[in-house]
Amino acid sequence: MSSNQVNKKIYTVSNITRHIQLLFSSDPLLRNVTIVGEVSNFKYHSSGHMYFVLKDDQCQIRCVMFRGSNLGLGFDPVDGMEVKAMGDVRVYEKRGEYQFYVSRMTEAGRGALFAAFEALKEKLKAEGLFKQEMKKALPRIPHKIAVITSPTGAAIRDIISITLRRFPNIHIIVVPSQVQGNEAALQIAQNIEFLNLVLPDLDFIIIGRGGGSIEELWAFNEEELARSIYLSKIPIVSAVGHETDFTIADFVADLRAPTPSGAAEMTIPEKESLIIQLDLLKSKLNRMMNHIFELKRQSCFNIVENLKYQSPKNKILQHFQTLDDLSNRLNLNMKHILHINENILKKYREKIITLSPRAVLKRGYSICFKMPEKVIVKNTGQVEKDNLIEVLVNNGTISANVSGKEEK
Amino acid sequence: MTAKKKKDEDISFENSLKKLEEIVEELEKGELSLDEALKLYEEGMQFSDKCLEKLNESKQKVEKLTKEGNKKYHTEPFSMQNNEMDEKE
Repeated sequence: MSSNQVNKKIYTVSNITRHIQLLFSSDPLLRNVTIVGEVSNFKYHSSGHMYFVLKDDQCQIRCVMFRGSNLGLGFDPVDGMEVKAMGDVRVYEKRGEYQFYVSRMTEAGRGALFAAFEALKEKLKAEGLFKQEMKKALPRIPHKIAVITSPTGAAIRDIISITLRRFPNIHIIVVPSQVQGNEAALQIAQNIEFLNLVLPDLDFIIIGRGGGSIEELWAFNEEELARSIYLSKIPIVSAVGHETDFTIADFVADLRAPTPSGAAEMTIPEKESLIIQLDLLKSKLNRMMNHIFELKRQSCFNIVENLKYQSPKNKILQHFQTLDDLSNRLNLNMKHILHINENILKKYREKIITLSPRAVLKRGYSICFKMPEKVIVKNTGQVEKDNLIEVLVNNGTISANVSGKEEK
Repeated sequence: MTAKKKKDEDISFENSLKKLEEIVEELEKGELSLDEALKLYEEGMQFSDKCLEKLNESKQKVEKLTKEGNKKYHTEPFSMQNNEMDEKE
């Protein structure tokens, strides 16, 4: 067979890939071609290059827009956006894949899904469904919560394990529901209504699912779900996809969690830390009370001390002291007075001594007494001849008889 | 049962904790008579007990709810074992 003959030559992967590349580059249609499609799986790599897929309802083509080409891009491409892209379709030899090397790109209008999202968002916002003041507060200590989600996904596993880790004694009710597909929005909405009817004592309901494409998360952008969230008497926490995914449900819900595990972290308190907080307060309470007791005891003690001080016994002791004090002073004063008088006496004695007749005798005078009356003889008339007289001199007496007298 | 629960709801954990904090602050000021302080202290201990009670009120239960008609449902223990992932993470 002729085909066998032609294929006898053996090619390397590189040979054949280069041949394919040649086919692509020799086709003028694939050069400077303009393609219209919806952006999907858009990734803005840290290198500055953009990687995404352009698709329509049947096909898709892998695209790359290098940093040098996308620098002047006047908009931020997002998933769901309709764009018009110009460039070459070539083979990326390393992976053996053809891709669209975009050199220019313009916005051709938002994708249908995106437009629907924006329209519903504006409508519900205008109706007041997103109003902050309508949002219900979640209790700090939930006792009983429900989770409407797929019973087999990673989302429910994360929510349950994180919830039980943070607060072990809690009642979780899993309400299985489809979370993607045509029925999902209606099912979730009906479950919310059902729970409001049969379990009104629920602390809150988490609705959510793990990450996915915009189409997979679409149920959470449906109007009927938004309205049932708004009407729910039980607070609703939405936990859809990844942190960057925003859905209508997020806007209406009483609390928006970035992810399902984030929902558990935001709504379930850590019991351990609450207990620590409580213990701290309790010991502070005890400490304060002891302190007050101590203060009161101290002031009580002060009053008793004061009372003791005021006691009559104390007064008496004080009087005793005054008494001692006075008697001491009395003694002292008395001694002083005596001392002064002694001095005066001494002075008078000296004076008296100088004035005494004996002092005169010392100077050679004598005193004559008439005996035996011992009267001082002051004139001649007192004595007669032969009267006995005694003459007092300095060192003794001389007895004598009057031998004669003469008046002058 | 539900009536009792509703009544308990009035004294929430937050309120009890806040009351406890206020009482500690009041005692800290130290301007109270001994009688007043004792009364507050007792109240504080009650609030603290109440908080702890709230924390331990519920029991761990993980259940799966299945609807049975308009207002009827039944629950059964929910097990996370052998779960297959049916959605992308």
